Amino acid sequence: MDKIVEMKNITKEFPGVKAVDGGQFDLNQGEIHALIGENGAGKSTMMKMLYGLYTPDSGTITVKGQEYGGLTTREAIDLGIGMVHQEFMLVEEMTVLENIILGFEPKKSRNRIDFKKAIEKIEHYIENYGLDIQLNKKVRDISVGEAQRVEIIKTLYRGADILILDEPTAVLTPQETEKLFEIFKNLRDDNKSIIFISHKLNEIMEISDRITVMRHGKHVGTVNTEDTTIPEIAKMMVGREVFLNIERKKPEVGEVLLSVEDVYVPGERELSKIKGISFKLHRGEILGVAGVDGNGQSEIVEAITGLRKVEKGDIIFKGKSIKNLSPAQIRKLGISHIPEDRNKRGLNRPFTIKENLIADKFQDKEFSKGIVLNEKKIKEFAEELVKKFDIRPSDVNLSAENLSGGNAQKIVVAREISNDADLIIASQPTRGVDIGSIESIRKILNDIKKKGVGILLVSADLQEILSLSDRIAVMYEGRITGILDNEEATEENLGLLMTGGYLNEKV
Amino acid sequence: MLDRIASIFDYTLIHATIRSSTPILLAALSAVITQQANILNVGVEGIMLFGAFTAVCVSFFTGSWILAVLAAMAVGVLVSTIIGFAHLKYKADVFAVGTVINMLAIALTRFLLNTILKSSGSFYSAEIVPIPTINIRFLEKIPVLDSLFNKYSLFEVLGIVIVFILWYALYKTVWGLRIRSVGLNPMAAETAGLNVFKAKFQVILISGMLGGMAGAHLSLGYSKLFAENMTNGRGFMGVAAMFFGGANPVFAWIGSLIFGLADSIGARLQAYGLPSQFILMIPYIATIAILTISLASRIRQERKQKSSLNNLPNN
Amino acid sequence: MKKSNYINAILSILVALIIGGIVVAFMGHNPLEAFAQLFRGAFVGKFNFGTTLEKFVPLLLAGLAFAVSSKIAVFNVGVEGQLYLGAMAAAWVGFTFSNLSKVVHIPLAILAGMLAGALFAAIPAILKVYFRVNEVLTTMLLNYVAQYLTSYLVNNPFSGGTGVAQSPPIYESAILTRIMPPSRANTGLFIALGMLVFIYWLFYKTTVGYKLRSVGLNRDFTDYIGVNSRKAIILGMMLSGAIGGLAGAIEVMGIHHSFLDNFSSGIGFDGMLAALIAKSDFGMVAIISFFIASLKSGALAMERYTGVPKSLIDAIIAVFILFATMEGLFQLKRRMKSKKEVDEHVG
Repeated sequence: MDKIVEMKNITKEFPGVKAVDGGQFDLNQGEIHALIGENGAGKSTMMKMLYGLYTPDSGTITVKGQEYGGLTTREAIDLGIGMVHQEFMLVEEMTVLENIILGFEPKKSRNRIDFKKAIEKIEHYIENYGLDIQLNKKVRDISVGEAQRVEIIKTLYRGADILILDEPTAVLTPQETEKLFEIFKNLRDDNKSIIFISHKLNEIMEISDRITVMRHGKHVGTVNTEDTTIPEIAKMMVGREVFLNIERKKPEVGEVLLSVEDVYVPGERELSKIKGISFKLHRGEILGVAGVDGNGQSEIVEAITGLRKVEKGDIIFKGKSIKNLSPAQIRKLGISHIPEDRNKRGLNRPFTIKENLIADKFQDKEFSKGIVLNEKKIKEFAEELVKKFDIRPSDVNLSAENLSGGNAQKIVVAREISNDADLIIASQPTRGVDIGSIESIRKILNDIKKKGVGILLVSADLQEILSLSDRIAVMYEGRITGILDNEEATEENLGLLMTGGYLNEKV
Repeated sequence: MLDRIASIFDYTLIHATIRSSTPILLAALSAVITQQANILNVGVEGIMLFGAFTAVCVSFFTGSWILAVLAAMAVGVLVSTIIGFAHLKYKADVFAVGTVINMLAIALTRFLLNTILKSSGSFYSAEIVPIPTINIRFLEKIPVLDSLFNKYSLFEVLGIVIVFILWYALYKTVWGLRIRSVGLNPMAAETAGLNVFKAKFQVILISGMLGGMAGAHLSLGYSKLFAENMTNGRGFMGVAAMFFGGANPVFAWIGSLIFGLADSIGARLQAYGLPSQFILMIPYIATIAILTISLASRIRQERKQKSSLNNLPNN
Repeated sequence: MKKSNYINAILSILVALIIGGIVVAFMGHNPLEAFAQLFRGAFVGKFNFGTTLEKFVPLLLAGLAFAVSSKIAVFNVGVEGQLYLGAMAAAWVGFTFSNLSKVVHIPLAILAGMLAGALFAAIPAILKVYFRVNEVLTTMLLNYVAQYLTSYLVNNPFSGGTGVAQSPPIYESAILTRIMPPSRANTGLFIALGMLVFIYWLFYKTTVGYKLRSVGLNRDFTDYIGVNSRKAIILGMMLSGAIGGLAGAIEVMGIHHSFLDNFSSGIGFDGMLAALIAKSDFGMVAIISFFIASLKSGALAMERYTGVPKSLIDAIIAVFILFATMEGLFQLKRRMKSKKEVDEHVG
């Protein structure tokens, strides 16, 4: 089989982060090739370069024999590359038909759109590949599965014979996924080539011909699907990094601190809606929540902290129901929260370091008299924390705008830990943080646990989960697929639970 | 009392409404075209004023109303070029640029009125050639028909034609589809390979042309003179009518009719010494109400969609 | 305000003045003399300087009102309307109560004006917070509602009875004393400056200010730390409206001594533009407003002495503002890094 695409020695850097560092990828004609890796592995960035949305800093891209240092989108489209993004690039208020032909409208005269010709061409695709859609519906009114098929037809309509799909099954139900795979097979039989980005190992094993694994922006390996197994791929994906050794002793577990009871929470996407989750967390224990990002972890954390509505069920904290209380009330009752996105929620970047450090306390008697802020006290408190947690730079009057990921995160941790809370919810606490800070943050959490504080640790980093948690719950598609004691958990069985491996999916 | 109401609401109100709504309509269309690309052009008021002045000047000096209209349109394009550069290239806030253009228009036209036309306050001359009125002889015999269908200035008819030209351009042509996509989802437009900057600049220029046309009609069709600040908020009314119509040219036309109707009724009420302000308020309040209602229903829809208590869609 | 913004503003005014100078020369006048008269007209002499102060007050307050709403990330172009309602409320208090002492009457009228502005501004705030209606639209449309409403009031129930569209004159006890006769500058100046200091203190030294600044910079963060972002936005908008109302109240109580139909020639918008140039920095708003006020005041004298029409200065001011709002206009070198790429990834 001839290589229709070759990407060699690709690097791509954005301010503050090296997204791709030595990326390699090739595609044979008429194959289905899966590109996998965890969040931040660089797979999306690689493909966006292939589609011309980004330009590589170095390396070469060869498509159908022509070599480039970088492409424009228009060039990529002309070469026959089409991309279906994770967020659909559809105009909601326009119809399916209008969206498909945008930019490539068939013309009757100089400017009049020849709708009839367009419809004919599109129906050809609908029939040939089983892409079932309705042309005159507004995009706003169609289902997610249908929207995805529209995106696929868009690429075919523009003449693509190389299709890139970014996490296509992330938004589909199992039935819709099956339908999509049928379409893939039809396309492949017609000698079209498909690249799809995913982290769902069982699906990849089912449909792909070859698999390329990336981790931390680097190419880990490329294998033939029939020669490998899910555990092997999982290990390549997750890898072994610096094992930050935590002295984890079996905890002196106390009473039940938090009880989540059959809770239903609305979600941004269908598969992140919480549909009946229950678990208990005790004083002095770390309950880890493992799972790939986007399976409802954000939603359940927001529900517990009062940032999202609970539609059914209850959440009991220290014996009291905290369901649907305000974030302020929940904080006061003794729950602190290290949020998963420090830039969006955890910090107010334009604010100064000291303003960020007292963000949840500025109305306390200590720091304000009436409405007047006690500047002196605030500065003292901030400087104390900066020293204790070794935050750099140490001038608390500087804006938090330019802090490194690690220092920024330490501010959030410092603030939330200094609260005398009974329960701390730490969501992706070491994401995007340097090794030194990772070490100190994990040590902090472990130390706090010994004082009898309960910690709910949500993390997509399996190493982190395994090294810190006493018990581990795994989330997948808004449900808990299993709760294990640390002693019985391994990377393999956790990996399987995380990717829906144990679930008996209807085929 | 009743006969007073009868004389306010007789059939001549229709002609009056069309008359008073046309300047607003043309301004609204100018705003519609940029709004479709998600650019709020409040500078329509200023462009109109520039156009009105230019038209009177050129008509006075050349004796040709056609040249006057063309000149006004050219000036409109010139002014909107400035808006385009300031907003698209130099990232100035579009509302600020529009407001500044309005300020500049008032000041500059007043200045030029003094220096070029050597007048202050307003300028009238018998040598100003107005835009012709369409006079259908045989209709004059029947008063009702005469009022309803006769003696309209050129743009009062042309305006309606432009409504449908715009509607067709936006919804039936390639160009319109691309413009709308740029306004609704610029990212999607980019990934389809479209040049968003070029598209936005295009609509700004067209808006300038229409705005200049609106001004020419105001000073040579609706009236036959130039007066300081003669637009008197009609550009803004056009923008409001555009919002009323959700940036759709046909609905914006309806919006401008409502504004024109309120204006006409208001003028008649004033003639009788009755307060007109509440009538004049209605179109504005109606616009706000319509916007609120449509957004409220969208929020409700979204909430239902995100709810975890739904059944899974089967597709 | 960043250094580049200062440079931009200064260069903008220089270029605008140069353009103006060229036009003046074209007209056959001596530009240097014209500018000298401009300067004198703004600052030299009690009447001139007083006129500058008189024009400074409403501009400062309108600019402050817009700056306050900017700080909570709301685009309040409804200052004009809030100003009218504030003026009407203050005028009503001013001409309705006859037996109050100055110490009571003035604060009462001022409060009425601020309250009217605040309540009116609450409407678009509520629509924005609960229905996501764009505040630019609502505030812009409500300006007209306010103008028509006050117009109706001043021509009917609150008419002064004369042929002119004007309310009855307010009582002596509600008049703000003139401080620099024969100009119309009045003690409203001190109220305005006091408001400036108050707002600065409120925003940077209090818990209320913390909440307002927080919600304007990062709403998600604000919710997360336990502050009710909805309440904060509505409060901030009402504050903005109150300041606009105050501007109107001072116009009535210090300048006209009654409510005149259509008394504002776009004060609200001038203030908004000043705030935009100042990037909503309170101190800068004061400086820019003072600058624009002095230009307007000087223009009157310039016209009187040189025959150069005032409208030219208005045009120059407009050109200055236009240039000043264009970022990067005077930057000679710009690195053309693909902004789109950076936005997409870092965002």
